[in-house]
Amino acid sequence: MSEILFYLGAIMITIGGICDLFGALGLLKFPNFYIRLHAATVGTIGGAVVPLFGVGFLALGADFLPHKYAIAGASFVTGIIVLLAAPAGSHALAYAAHKTKIVKWEPKCDHLEVEE
Amino acid sequence: MSLENSFFLLMKFVIPLYLLAFIIYAIRAFKGPTIVDIILAVDCLSFDIAAFMAILAIYFKSAFLISGAITLALWAYLLDIYVAKYLVGKEVGV
Repeated sequence: MSEILFYLGAIMITIGGICDLFGALGLLKFPNFYIRLHAATVGTIGGAVVPLFGVGFLALGADFLPHKYAIAGASFVTGIIVLLAAPAGSHALAYAAHKTKIVKWEPKCDHLEVEE
Repeated sequence: MSLENSFFLLMKFVIPLYLLAFIIYAIRAFKGPTIVDIILAVDCLSFDIAAFMAILAIYFKSAFLISGAITLALWAYLLDIYVAKYLVGKEVGV
């Protein structure tokens, strides 16, 4: 049972590292801010929430840790906080950027501009 | 192979991925053309450092590092909200 939890956590940490690298590359290469929001979601949800839950499972399954329940519980709490806070923060930033018109872009149709 | 040895073998492959991602996020945070790009890059960097601190807590077998991760995640959200409110309302008030 503990081996299953350990290897599940190890797989989730590896997936998190790969998502983190791809999110960082997207944040560097994409052309403007609104497209970079997509890469930022890959980097936060895939690159921070998934490895935090993975650390929780890995700490529950590990037999060599002295404080494994403290590490596992705090990892789950941090994962839930990031899962709730990252989309809200990204949405607030996108709203502020659209409201103040500081990003240069040429959309075909801006529905939010039409409605106001 | 024991679980501890397999964990340290995993860390040899995972830690370079995270460090490379941190460097690329820092490049975008330094050269970002607008202020929202900088804040978005610092936001991603903070959340990923929080995840990396949770990994380091297992690596160093210490429970103290994980309390810093919770604070770092909450601080990144606070930074987003304050900057968005300053850009829209031109003041940081309640």
